[in-house]
Amino acid sequence: MHRAAHRALYDWSNILGPAMIRQCLKCRVPPQLSSRAYSVVPTPCDSEEKEMLDRMLRVDHAGEYGANRIYAGQMAVLGRTRTGPLIQEMWDQEKHHLSKFNEILAENRVRPTALLPLWNIAGFLLGASSALLGKEGAMACTVAVEESISEHYNSQIRALMERDPERYTELLQVIKEFRDDELEHHDTGLEHDAEKIPGYWLIKNAIQLGCKAAIYVSQRV
Amino acid sequence: MNMAALLRGLRAGRALRGLAGVVAAPAATKPQCSSLSRGFHRATLRLQDDSKSDKPPSSSSTTSHEHYQAHSAEQDTAAAAHEDSTSDPAADQASRLNTSYQDQGGEQGEEYETEEQLQARILTAALEFVPQHGWSMEAIAIGAETLGLSSASTGMFYNGAGDLVLHFLAQCNSQLTDILAEQHNQVQLGQAERKKTADFLRDAVETRLRMLIPYIESWPQAMSILLLPHNIPDSLKHLSTLVDDIWYYAGDRSTDMNWYTKRAALTGIYNTTELVMLQDSSPDFRDTWNFLDNRIQDVVQMATTAKQMQSTGETVVQGFMGAAITLKNLTGLNQRR
Repeated sequence: MHRAAHRALYDWSNILGPAMIRQCLKCRVPPQLSSRAYSVVPTPCDSEEKEMLDRMLRVDHAGEYGANRIYAGQMAVLGRTRTGPLIQEMWDQEKHHLSKFNEILAENRVRPTALLPLWNIAGFLLGASSALLGKEGAMACTVAVEESISEHYNSQIRALMERDPERYTELLQVIKEFRDDELEHHDTGLEHDAEKIPGYWLIKNAIQLGCKAAIYVSQRV
Repeated sequence: MNMAALLRGLRAGRALRGLAGVVAAPAATKPQCSSLSRGFHRATLRLQDDSKSDKPPSSSSTTSHEHYQAHSAEQDTAAAAHEDSTSDPAADQASRLNTSYQDQGGEQGEEYETEEQLQARILTAALEFVPQHGWSMEAIAIGAETLGLSSASTGMFYNGAGDLVLHFLAQCNSQLTDILAEQHNQVQLGQAERKKTADFLRDAVETRLRMLIPYIESWPQAMSILLLPHNIPDSLKHLSTLVDDIWYYAGDRSTDMNWYTKRAALTGIYNTTELVMLQDSSPDFRDTWNFLDNRIQDVVQMATTAKQMQSTGETVVQGFMGAAITLKNLTGLNQRR
């Protein structure tokens, strides 16, 4: 009788999906970990979750920082041409993204990537050199970078949804909103003759390869 | 019958959380969580009495440990009758172990947490004997004996004296964090004035170093233990959490290279002041605190100078840009495309 009851309960615990089991039912966290009552990111239950969230936020912050610098580079070259206002508008949205991530990082005590100075210079150079190829070059660069970033955000959204969509609701909202903005930039780039540049396929893939490498490294360093 | 059903229900609940703990922290499973360590553990438990189960752990555990605190209280209220018939039933009544072998993952996860709490208690008790016996297995053995455990329980500590020193570090750091959090609350409630950064850093480092005073004679031995290759990663981790905590409560919210430079500077200050403290013989370590003051002033000075240099640099760049634009205008290159 005892064994049957125990086995029934044991099977029941197996039937529950991993999401429920992963959800921390009683989460006592040291108060010094978060000094705000409301936060976009839920307070992590254990060090593994903290590490996962840290990586995600670190690489997102680095991505927005890099995108910021890319647009700055493009503006430095094309700022006073007809495409200036368009690039400025996209740059302003990236600035908004960056400030949001700065807020999130500071709140959750996430270490920013040590490679920020590198992304500073590399981003500016990429933006400036793509803009030197003309308006189509700048747009091609935008298309490539925004596509990489949207893909990256999508994979993060998938990962969070897999783990526990309810726990990460606000964070998912923020990431989805930013992903939609990036897709909009991508479409804007395509509208403004990105594909007309000679060697479009080569430029696009080279930049996307660079972005993938940057994402990989920023997660870890 | 009802009691048994209650126990089964509780154990299912524990199993769920145990799975959460194990799935979320696979590294938590002890590498040699074999019958050997379980045997040690059961041997030490047999020598305990019930009163031990009420003492909370003192070391700064990770959040998953505190997670288990919540339902270790649950375990106390319902004595765990368990499946393993080979064990002594009296010890199991006193034990907080979930020894249900039906759920290996959860059981291993829970045993690890309980063992860590036990280790923490032994090490805390051992600290009392460090001035006399140094940072050694002897101190741990005597500490275990004062808790009513056999001195053979030192077998649990694979790292020996290193475990003791690291536990002490963790304890000091968590005490400091508590003090800083309390001060932070006071400032938020308006009951205290916000300190200037330099003063805050000085007070925080002084508070933390004062925790070494009872052990100052044997601290060089502890430092040399921390320099052993297998202890270096852990000691660096404790140092970096300490410095990060101090800066966080000092109000640092930077998300760029400043994050790194500030922490590097504070690490330098802390380490050098610690070394000075070891050789200081002035009353109440006055020379050490003077040294600390001067180092912090140095860092503040450097920060100010860096800011000034940056603004000068920006002005110079602006000057050059102005000159370049003038040249472009003169040569007619500056036209709208």
